[in-house]
Parts: sequence; structure tokens; C-alpha cells
Amino acid sequence: MIANAEALLKPLTIKGLTIRNRVMSTSHAPSYGKDGKPQQRYQLYHEEKAKGGIGLTMFGGSSSVSMDSPAAPWNQISVADDSVVPFFREFSERIHRHGARLMIQLTHMGRRTKWDTEHWLPVKSASATREPASRAIAKALEQEEIDRIVADFAAAARRCKEGGLDGCEISAAHGHLVDQFWSPHSNHRTDKYGGSLENRMRFGIEVLSAMREAVGDDYVIGMRMSGDEMLKGGLSHEDCVAIAAEYTSRGLVDFLNVIGGQARDHIAHAISLPNMSFPVAPFLSLPSAIKREVDVPIFHAQRVTDLATGARAVAEGHVDMIAMTRAHIADPHLVKKLSEGRADDIRQCVGAGYCIDRIYVGGDALCIQNAATGREATMPHVIDKAATRKTAVVVGGGVGGLEAARVLAERGHAVTLFEKSDRLGGQINVASRATWREALSGIPRWLVSQLQKLGVDIRLNTEADEAAIAALSPDIVIVATGGLPQKGEAKGFEHAVTTWDVLEGRSQPSGTVLLYDEIGGHNAASTAEVLAKMGCLVELVTHDRMIGEEIGPTNQPVHLRELYKLGVLMTPNSELIEIYPEGNRLIAAIRNTMTDAEEERVVDAVVVDYGTLPVDDLHFALKDKAKNRGLTDDHAIVAGEPQPFEINGAASGQGYTLYRIGDAVAGRNIHAAIYDALRLCKDL
Amino acid sequence: MTAAAFLPWLIVAMVLVAAVQIGRRVMLWRAGKTARVDWLAGLKALPRRYLVDVHHVVDRDKSASRMHVPTAGGLVLASGLLVLGLVPALAASRVYWAFVALAFLVMGAGVVLEVRRRYPRALPRLSLGRWQRLPVHLGVFAAGGLLTALLAALGNPLPALSFVTFLAAAAAGLALAGTAGTGPMRHALAGATHLVAHPRPRRFDPASQKGEATGLRPLDLDAEKLGAETPADFAWNRLLAFDACVQCGRCEAACPAFAAGQPLSPKHLIADLAAAAGGGHARPYAGMPYPNERAVGGAAGLDAPIVSPEGLVHPDTLWSCTTCRACVEECPMMIEHVDAIVDLRRFQTLELGAVPMKAEEPLAHSRGCDEPNGRPLFERTDFAAGMSLPRIVEKGEAEVLLWLGQAAYDLRGQRTLKALIQTLNSAGVDFAVLGGQERDCGDLARRLGDEATFQRLARANVETLSRYRFARILTADPHALHVIRNEYPAFGGSYDVVHHTAFLAELVESGRLAPASLAGRAITYHDPCYLGRYNGEVEAPRALLDALGLERREMARSGKRSMCCGGGGGAPSADIPGDTRIPDIRMGQVKETGAKTVAVACPQCTAMLEGVTGDRAEVKDVAELLWEAVEAGRRTPAGAAPARELQPA
Repeated sequence: MIANAEALLKPLTIKGLTIRNRVMSTSHAPSYGKDGKPQQRYQLYHEEKAKGGIGLTMFGGSSSVSMDSPAAPWNQISVADDSVVPFFREFSERIHRHGARLMIQLTHMGRRTKWDTEHWLPVKSASATREPASRAIAKALEQEEIDRIVADFAAAARRCKEGGLDGCEISAAHGHLVDQFWSPHSNHRTDKYGGSLENRMRFGIEVLSAMREAVGDDYVIGMRMSGDEMLKGGLSHEDCVAIAAEYTSRGLVDFLNVIGGQARDHIAHAISLPNMSFPVAPFLSLPSAIKREVDVPIFHAQRVTDLATGARAVAEGHVDMIAMTRAHIADPHLVKKLSEGRADDIRQCVGAGYCIDRIYVGGDALCIQNAATGREATMPHVIDKAATRKTAVVVGGGVGGLEAARVLAERGHAVTLFEKSDRLGGQINVASRATWREALSGIPRWLVSQLQKLGVDIRLNTEADEAAIAALSPDIVIVATGGLPQKGEAKGFEHAVTTWDVLEGRSQPSGTVLLYDEIGGHNAASTAEVLAKMGCLVELVTHDRMIGEEIGPTNQPVHLRELYKLGVLMTPNSELIEIYPEGNRLIAAIRNTMTDAEEERVVDAVVVDYGTLPVDDLHFALKDKAKNRGLTDDHAIVAGEPQPFEINGAASGQGYTLYRIGDAVAGRNIHAAIYDALRLCKDL
Repeated sequence: MTAAAFLPWLIVAMVLVAAVQIGRRVMLWRAGKTARVDWLAGLKALPRRYLVDVHHVVDRDKSASRMHVPTAGGLVLASGLLVLGLVPALAASRVYWAFVALAFLVMGAGVVLEVRRRYPRALPRLSLGRWQRLPVHLGVFAAGGLLTALLAALGNPLPALSFVTFLAAAAAGLALAGTAGTGPMRHALAGATHLVAHPRPRRFDPASQKGEATGLRPLDLDAEKLGAETPADFAWNRLLAFDACVQCGRCEAACPAFAAGQPLSPKHLIADLAAAAGGGHARPYAGMPYPNERAVGGAAGLDAPIVSPEGLVHPDTLWSCTTCRACVEECPMMIEHVDAIVDLRRFQTLELGAVPMKAEEPLAHSRGCDEPNGRPLFERTDFAAGMSLPRIVEKGEAEVLLWLGQAAYDLRGQRTLKALIQTLNSAGVDFAVLGGQERDCGDLARRLGDEATFQRLARANVETLSRYRFARILTADPHALHVIRNEYPAFGGSYDVVHHTAFLAELVESGRLAPASLAGRAITYHDPCYLGRYNGEVEAPRALLDALGLERREMARSGKRSMCCGGGGGAPSADIPGDTRIPDIRMGQVKETGAKTVAVACPQCTAMLEGVTGDRAEVKDVAELLWEAVEAGRRTPAGAAPARELQPA
């Protein structure tokens, strides 16, 4: 039991609307919208949280109220016309069935969007300015357009009410139109909407007044805002407190949802969505300060990953509702587990930012460690028991193997897990050695604790071979033997060491180091940080157009910030072509991929990252004896259905079926390994 | 004159000596407070109370009943026959003496059986000292009587020997009679009188509900002195009850506090209370000491304070009791230990304010906030926000009034209540709660001796309940059930109160719920004291568990003879240290069954048993198990219902 749990489990009543507890999820854009509507996938994703005991789930981050704020960029929701109302009704009924509350965020994004999507209308803002993040130049709004957008907000609020939603908030955070008006950084107007803070607040007041008029006084309307933009020339903390006090004293908002920072460029965006390099709840002081000045409930989200922190924030009176949005992506049954006394079973968010990073590169939000999130139609969060108990062997204690063992044990099977080394966790044990990536270790920590609870027979320091597996007479064998790093094909590659060698301490270079990255992931960037902190002069060379090209926008800026601070030389668009010794040093030859110009570096060590190649000897040793010849049916896997071989009778009789998952098939990432395991094993 | 001819006179002498001794005890009893006793009804009921009720308890220990029937029977028969021997014609008959010898033989056989319980080593729960010597006296008396009568039956062939045997019988008989007021033989007359003048005659009435005979009696708060301070503050028939004790130690063997090494033995306490009335500094007690005994001054007397470091009973002894009634259930002399403890606690709390330090806070909260943990009453339903939980203030009336109790404030208790509420909703039961109008039932205050707070809470709750119409009160808390069902009638509130296990069993039996089978799991059921022992409900929870297809494994102590979890009577608040914790002992008994789940039916039991650390069985309320089965029965294989997909325009 965590301290102050009872503070989290107290209901909160806002204008007659009772929220059953103090835990919520803020509006965000998981990219599950379809044709601008919240349809099955979107609804099931939130329904899972409602089933899991959440008090309030807010959906539709940046749902648009106007055509010139397109919903298309993150497959978001358009509340700009009445066609969305039936979907709202269905959605709210679905959530209310489980006792939770449902709200949406409404916004006009102003200049913070794209003009080249959907309707091809120019973006609009208070003034004709350009936001670095969206790289769009805005058209300054005319009075008639302002009036039209105010009316659009009012109509959208009416649609929320008609759709049975429990309330809505407007976004005046992260540089949307309302706070574009507030901020002197983006508002250069000289009319009644510009100049003094009083004038700059006018647009938002008009928006909220019109919304209030459209839905009446008893409908809950809130506002998301920053507590301090932490930006020179932007809104100071005092400005934000003044705005909060003015808006609440006018009775315009029923709650404030306070964040820290803003998102006008890459690093500001990364800071406003803090990843695992940040302490927990880094900006809690801001909502706490605003709460002292206003008398409406205060909500807050920003890296509150664990219930104990959330409970402290509520119990100590810093906030009224604690938003654990990413924490619910990792485990939508957070509150249920708390109130059932199973807090130890909560799969805690590690702050990898995988969910949000994906949506900024056009993907859908997926959890690095919980493959069922966002896939509720096919993937279960609670594994059903199998009809018959089987004997299963999992080889390899990396995250793929651990997840496979977990799911098979939840199915009720007798599971034995072989791990060659003395530790479970596989490659995460390597990755988490790299400075702030340490928090990744939370992923195997949870999986291992579940295996222990489920009574999986874990055999450490034991290499599985054919005889050892045969001795168990298994029905199912899962090969999750993972991969090992390779050194690439450059001439003289044998002189290189890998990022693994550095992180695991086998190689401890000093002096000048050339680190060559062919993958563009966290591996090389974080190893460069480690090397620089060891005192090396590091040049990070990559084949890609930029450093860490595969890393998403909440993590890449943090890597870059650290690498700049440490003086790491960054050389993109270059390929390592040869390494040879000269004296007691090495010469590394690199070729500019654009010009073909070749250069040489005199270095003390060359460290490379080419990813991994599968460790598949065991798989091929077992393959011929396996009833399914070690093959997995991809159609069934993709559909989330049982393997035909397992259910069409072919698997009956003596012997085992054999499956290979994760990097033992091909080097990919943590989510891929876990998803491989879940979607296969949930039906075995 | 033969030696045998003196035997009738010996009996007469013994009776006279005993009468004097008992008379001195009677004078002590008369110093107690008056009590209303229906002598006629008591006398009429005596044979049944003795032969059925007492025997039922005694017979649980076969060695005791096999010993007592011939010993007491033989003694009474021989004595009776010998009194007839005052008729000269009979005394001259050798056949008569043969019958007398036979009666002594029966008695002697009983004594042999008793000797086997005590020698060479007495059962640990038995007292030594005079109690250990008792079979010697009885044996010598029986043997002496037997030989004397036998020689008379044979025509007195050895007159010298018969005088020796007579003198042995006389010495032993007079020794027994001489201690009839203070020694072991006191139990005979005191026990019989106690059965006639028992302070709770309803406990012998087979037609009465069990709970009617277990509820505490209200205290007159206008009395000059509240509760019992000295022996003279007890009703006379309570003093009588203490004198009836045979120190068999069954209470001690059943007492959870004793087992946990807390300084309480019900047997020792009753012996102390009997000794306290007699006065003097002698404590002729030869049983096991109170575990971790606290030193006391030992001052006694009819008007001396009993519970005090200077008196006979240390306060820690008083506050160790969980009021589980295991001692009462086991007592063959029908002594009401818990009543005595509560009377003593009432004085400590109401007159001295001398409650254990940790019990002060819950009592202060009960007084100030109507709730022992000081939480606002309107927060009692907070846990159910988001669930369908109708308030009776909105409905005015309901078929069933759900009494939530303390569990509603506790995260663990809330799980049980949520399961119950969901089950009620799922069965379509018309129910409602008092919500913010529900005050604490007062159980804790009353058991901690704060009768004034209890009475205030009881009157307030009765007044609240009088505003609404409902057929029954349903509760998942046996403490609330007991207090409302059995103790509120004295304050004008008589209700049909049903425990959730019985109510849910009804729902399942009548087909209003369709639980899936949970077969394949083994459970054991822990009876809550206030449900099983206090209210006699041991069948319904078992019937419900059986209906779920669970394999039920009984603990050695179960049903009405179950062992307490340690959570009753304010014992967790008093928190008197011992060697171990009561719930640890109970969880050990759970473990012996091999069941991985222990089913419970009381929020206190849940909290106490879940507080056991280490590898232990899972604790599940019966309501949680049922809800799990109901949910399993409702689960549709299809999974999540599909949402609407956008139709092409």
C-alpha cells in the first residue's frame, strides 16, 4: 500500500459532476482518430482505463473547432460540425458504463499546425508570426475571423454537451491560438486584443463567455494553461497567475489544468513532455502556486509516473486531480490495482516517451512495454486462462522471453524460463547502463516480479540445449534468444569495438574516440554521452542526415542537448569505410555520403553500432523436430488470432511446437519483442 | 456399634460443616447488587439446564464427562443412601450396606478416571494445588466409605479395620466439607444455584435466537457509580457465578489472548474475581499464571478496587480481551466472562477515564465525530462514487437498507463492499444506504466500556432509522449486525437484520444470481465471532461457498468454536503486547488446511488476517468470491462490443 492512497480515492465534485477519484488522464492525441471521429479503436482505448478504475479520462487532445485548425495532422477529432455528436454519445455511454467520466479538449491551434493538410487553408494567429516547431507562417486574424472562431468554440461546446460528454476544456497551452493571443511573443496586435495583458486576455475571455452561453452555467468547462512559459519574452509565472486569477474570478472556468513550459521549438516541446531524464513531477510547483490563488480545482500532468507521487501531490494539496496519462498507457488498470491492494502489480511507466514519439512521426501511440494498449480490439490487458494446462519452455530472459513467460503463465501453463546469464532483462541490462537511460530497467523489473508471482520456474546461468528442453517434455517452446551486436563490413572492422563492449565495461576507451552509428537509435547517442563523461573526446559519425534520426521528438532533443554540452563532435552524412592501426592508435576512414569525399581520423578507439544479428542456433537445432517446423502464421498473428496449427488439430500428439520471437528473428526494438510475445502467447 | 453406623452421621456432619462454610459465601453474595431472578422458573428449568446444557458442554471433553458422572453421581447416591441409614431398620440390613458400597464403588471408579487426568501429569489447562488434591480426598473418602460399607455388608468380620476405614473416610469427608466455601467443592452448590439464578436465562431457551442471549445490557447512566469497581458492584448472581468456576481451564485453552501471550486467562480472571470477594491477600490459585504476568499488589475485599496495579487484576489483563466469547462458549459452568470484563471496563472508562493510550483516540473521535477514526460521515460513501449506490434520503423507502459500517472508510473493506454492491445491483435488489446519516454503530465504544457514547450513538441511529421505511437491514459487518439486531432493541429500535452471507445465500438459492462455478479451488472459512458465536450463524456462509463449487476445508476450530482473529472488543485499539499476534496464530491454523484462500465475512477479520506478514493464504470476503463467480458467469466470450464504424456518405 502506498502512502496517502486514500487521498487519491476521494471523489471530486465540480458543479454537481462527481468524479469518483483523483486520478485522470489528460487529453492527448494517440492518433487513433478515424475520419475525424473517435471510433472503435479510440473508444476501446479509453474504455480500458474506465474499466481500470480511472476517475476522469479526457480524450481528443487538440480537437479542432474550426476548419482552419485541421484535425488531420495527428488523426485527431474534428468538433467543427455536428457529425461527431453520435460518436460522442456512443463514447460517453461506453465510459459511463464503468463509472468513469469523459471529457474532451477543444482548441484552435492557430499557427501551431500545418496548412498543407486536409483543407489547405492558411494557418491563422494573433499576428503574422512563425512558430519554429510547426514552421508555418500565420495570417493575422481579422475581427470577423475572430468572431467566427469564437462562435466555432461555442458550437463545439454545444456538440460536447449534446454528445453526453461530462465536460470539456479549451487548450490555452503549448502555444495554441488562445495563448498565442496571451503571449507577447506571438501577439503584436495594436487593437483591443493586443498590448496590455488585459487586452491580450480578451480573445480567450470571449471564447469562454460564448461557450458558457452555449451550454449554460452547469456544464463543466475548464482550461489547460501553462504556469510559466519559461521563455524569454513569453508569459512569466506572474503573468500566468494573473491570467488564472482573472479567468476564474470571472467564473469562466470550472477547473484549470496547469502545465509547465511551452512547446514552440524542439527542446521546449521535449521539456514540456518530460522523458526519463527528468525527475518525477518536475513542474508540480506551478499548479501548486496557481492553486493558492484561485478557487477552482487544479489538474496537473507532467511525468507523474507512479501513484505514490500522485498521492503525495493530492494529499499535500498541490493539485486536486493528478493526471497520469502516460502511466495509464503503460497500465490502464492503475486505479483498480491500487484499490484492490495490488499496487505491486502496476506496470509503471518508465518515461521512455515511445508512445508520444511515435505520433510526431506519423505513427500511432504505442507503449514501449504494454503491447495491448491501443490494440484493445485484439490484444487483452488481462490474459484469459487456457482451457488446458500445457508445459512451456521459454529460452532467453530478455524482455521478449519475459513477456512470453508471463503471458503463458497467466494462461495457466507450467512455464520454465532458461537464461544463460546470471540476470534477467537481456539487452535492457546493457541499454540501462547508459546514463539517464537507466529507467529502462523498470521494464524487466516488472516482468520479473510478475513471473515470480506466477510461479515460473526461472533457471538462471543455464543454457538451454536440446537435451535440457527434451527433459521437460514441453508442448510449446519459445525461442527468445535475442541478438548480439555486429561490427559491420567496413574493412578492418575487427579493430572496432561495439557500443555493448563500452556499456558492459569490456572496453574502456580513453583519448579520442570515433563512434560510428548505422542505426540512428538511442544506442549510439547514449553511448557517446557515456564516453564523453568518461573523459573521451568523441566524434559521433552517422550515415543518416542527422544524429539520432530514429529517435522521436521528446527524446532526441535531450540527447542533442547532452551531446552539445559534452562537446561531442557530430558528423552526419558519413560512412565508416576502413579502420587500420597506425602505431598504437587507429586510423578511421570516413566517406561523405553526399560528396564521396574521404577523410581520415587518428583515434584511440573506434566504437560502432550496427544493431544486432539473431542468435538462432538453438532455433535451427530444434526446428526439424518441431511439429510446426518453427514457423509462425503471419496472417493469424496480424489478426490477433490463434495460430491455425494450434487449433486445427495438427498440434495434437507427441512433441512440441516451436516459435521464435523478438531479436532472435531480426534485430528490432523493445516493443517489437514484447508484441511478438503477447500476440503469439495470448492464444497458446 | 459398628463403624458403618457412624457413616450416616458423618454425612450429617459433613452437610452441617459445608452449610456453615457455604453460608459464609452466601453472605458474600448478598453483598452484591440485587438482581431480578425468577426462582420458580429457574428451579423448574434446573434439571434441563444441568442435564442438557451443561452436559452438552462438558461432554465435548469426554474424559471430563466420563469422570464427572460416576464421581458426582456416586457421591450423591452414597450420601443419599447413608442419610436413609439413619433409619435403624435399614442400618441393620446387610443388603442396604451392599448398595451403599456399590454407590461408593461407582464414585471410586469416577475418581480413578479423574486421577488419570491429573496423574502423573495434569492436563496443562487444569489447576493444581487444592484441585490436584481433590481426587485424593474424594478417593480416600470413597475408598474409606466403600470398605466400611463393604465390611458391614459382609457382617462386620473385621471391626478394627472398619474403624480405620471409617476414620479415613471421615477425615477426607470433613476436609472436603470444611473447604466447601473456598475449595473445589464450592462448585457443587454454587454451580447448581448459578444454573437456577443465571443472569442470562435466555441462553438456555432453545426457542430464543442465539443473539438475544449475547447482547450486552444497557447501563443506567444515572447510577451513582458506573460499571464495576469492586466485587460489591457486581450483581449477587454474578458473584455466585464466579464461585461456580471449576478451574477446568477450557476457557483458557480457547482464549486467543492467552494463546498470544497477552496477560489474560479467563480462568485466572474468574478465580481472581471469586478471590476478590473473599478478601484477604491469599490467592489460592494454582493454575498457569497470566502470560507475561504484570505484578499487582494483591489487595482484595468486597469494597476494594479489583482492577488496579494495587488490586488483584492488572488493567492490561482487562484490556487484552477481544470479547470473542470463546471462554463463554466453552464454560461448562455457564459463566459469562465477557459480561464481567465489560462491567469492569465500564468503570475504568466512565469513572476513571483509564483507557489504554491507543484507545483514547477512537473513543474521542466516536464522541466528537460519531465515527471512531474521525472521518466525516458524508465521506462514508466516497468509495462508491461512480457506482450505483442509492441513498435512502432520495428514495424514502427501500426493501433493504444497506448498513455500510466502518469498512466503507477502509481501502480493503471497500473492496468487499464494492463486490457486495455490484452483486446487489446485478440481482436487482431494491436497496439504499443512509449515506452521510449513518453514524458508527457504537460497537467499539461499548466494548471499550464507553457506554455513554454507545447509548448516544444508538439513540441517534435509531432516530435516523425511524425516518425511513425498509423491510430489512443488510450489513457485511457482524459487529454492526450484532449491535443493531441485539442491542438496539433496548433503545427502541427493533429491526430484521441480516448478514450479507445469509442474504447472498438467499439470492443464490432463489436463482436471482447465477454464479459460475469456482470449482478447483480449495478454501477454508474463518467464522467471525460476532456472527458465529454471538449470533449462531455458521451455516449460511458455508452454504454459499459450497454453492460456488469451492472445496471447503474446515479448520480444527470452526463454527461456534472458531478462534478469534484478534480484532474484536477494541483489542486492536488497546494493543496490549504479548508474545505473538492472535491473527498470526489463526493464519497458522489456516495454513494447516493447505487452502490457499481463507474466506472471511467480517471487515475486522479481513484486516487482522491480511495484516499477517509473510507467505500466507489470500484473504477474500465471501462477497468477493461470490462477485467473482457472478462476473465469471456473465462474461461473454465475444469480448469487447464493437463500436460503430463510420458509414460511407
